[in-house]
Amino acid sequence: MTFTRTYAAVLLVALASAAAAAFLHAQTQPQPPVPATAAPPSQVPQPAVRPTPPQPARAVIFLDPAHGGTETGASLGNNMAEKEVVLAFAQRLRAALASANLSVITTRDSDLATPLPTDQRAEAANRAHALACIVIHATASGTGVHLYTSSLPPAPLNDTSGTDATTRFAPTPWESAQTGFVDQSHKLSDVLKATLAKASLPVITGNAPLRPLDNLMCPAVAVEIAPNSAAVSASDNTYQQQIVFAVATAMQMWRDQNTGGAH
Amino acid sequence: MIPRYQRILFWSLALAILLMAVFLLHGCQQAREKLNRLQNQTPLAAPAETAPETFHLAMASDADNSIAMVDRQLALPTEPTARMRALLAQLIAEYSYKNSSHPLASGPAIDDVFLLDLPLKPATSTNPSNPAGTPPGESAFASGAPHSPGGQLAVINLSAAFADHHPSGIEAETLTINSMVGTLFANFPRIEQVRFVVNGQPRDTLAGHADLTRTYQAVNTTTGGAQ
Repeated sequence: MTFTRTYAAVLLVALASAAAAAFLHAQTQPQPPVPATAAPPSQVPQPAVRPTPPQPARAVIFLDPAHGGTETGASLGNNMAEKEVVLAFAQRLRAALASANLSVITTRDSDLATPLPTDQRAEAANRAHALACIVIHATASGTGVHLYTSSLPPAPLNDTSGTDATTRFAPTPWESAQTGFVDQSHKLSDVLKATLAKASLPVITGNAPLRPLDNLMCPAVAVEIAPNSAAVSASDNTYQQQIVFAVATAMQMWRDQNTGGAH
Repeated sequence: MIPRYQRILFWSLALAILLMAVFLLHGCQQAREKLNRLQNQTPLAAPAETAPETFHLAMASDADNSIAMVDRQLALPTEPTARMRALLAQLIAEYSYKNSSHPLASGPAIDDVFLLDLPLKPATSTNPSNPAGTPPGESAFASGAPHSPGGQLAVINLSAAFADHHPSGIEAETLTINSMVGTLFANFPRIEQVRFVVNGQPRDTLAGHADLTRTYQAVNTTTGGAQ
């Protein structure tokens, strides 16, 4: 009986010692890692992320050959309508831009059954988020190439320090959507003017109350092809090819200026 | 011997030929006079007692896309809308002259001119850069922006024939509009805004390009020529 009691006491002491040793061991060992989701954000160790280089802007050029369908535009002589001349020019320009590794979106690749409203043209351009928007026209009056930008005034600089949400996030009116891009449009016009002048083509620049220029949310220029001389009309193939080459060169320069040369 | 009935027939035919010739000459003369009247673009006969005054015309040039101010001595009516109509008609008439720098077809161009007093409304925007609260490019008239006291809106009713026969192109149409706006600005300081209608109806464009749906601000549109 006494032996049994002694044996039980020793066993209890041994168990208590083992428990104490285990507790002390647990206190001296490092804590296991805590799942990141359980810790506050400021204490979460951030994994080493390799920084990705900034992606270059999509080099998309938006072309809008004006008119189409029953809306023939100006009569350019020799039974040529403006809608046909600008379409031929746009197709040439599209091929030249594609060969320069530029993506091109056009409002029409052929004549239309019904005229495309200018609002729909502007909507398509604004969805494209294009690097440049070129509206193509042709005329029988004047000479050379006419470059027109919107007649809207440039937008004032936004005051982002204000706390008034109505002024910081004011919507852009459709009628003056181009306002925020007027300065860029002027720069684009300057680039086009320089390349056209380098090609020895007469150039005239100005502002015009022309739709859909005011509705475009991209650097936008209207290119109007006028006869080069009395003998060379706007529909002349060689003349058009000269303009196409100059405009394509300008678009490459514009892309390089705005994407740091990455393409 | 010629029978009597043949002689009567001969002289009758000769008389008919003579009458037809006279009628033809008269018709030709009338047509010539009608053409001459069309080429004479003076819209209204100036009152005899009105002395010629010096007016400024904003003349456009297709060659360099420019607008330059020139002075003209004209005797115009005293009533403001008739005065504006006469002045604009004179401007368009000069474009129909031979060797014009901005050639336009001859014929009546301005049907009517109307003047409307602009409403004075208080500013509602707190944006100091745009106290009128008018989105850039939007018609200040349409948005109810304030105007200077006495400011007026001129509504120019162009004739349908003028718009239909106007040269189609951005340059040609823009120069015509800027020329008219610049002429009004130079001679009628109370005019702040200008709108265009054709044959009394709103029209999208003048000849396929220049926007006629907007309200133009009366500003100095003269330029320095080719850029």
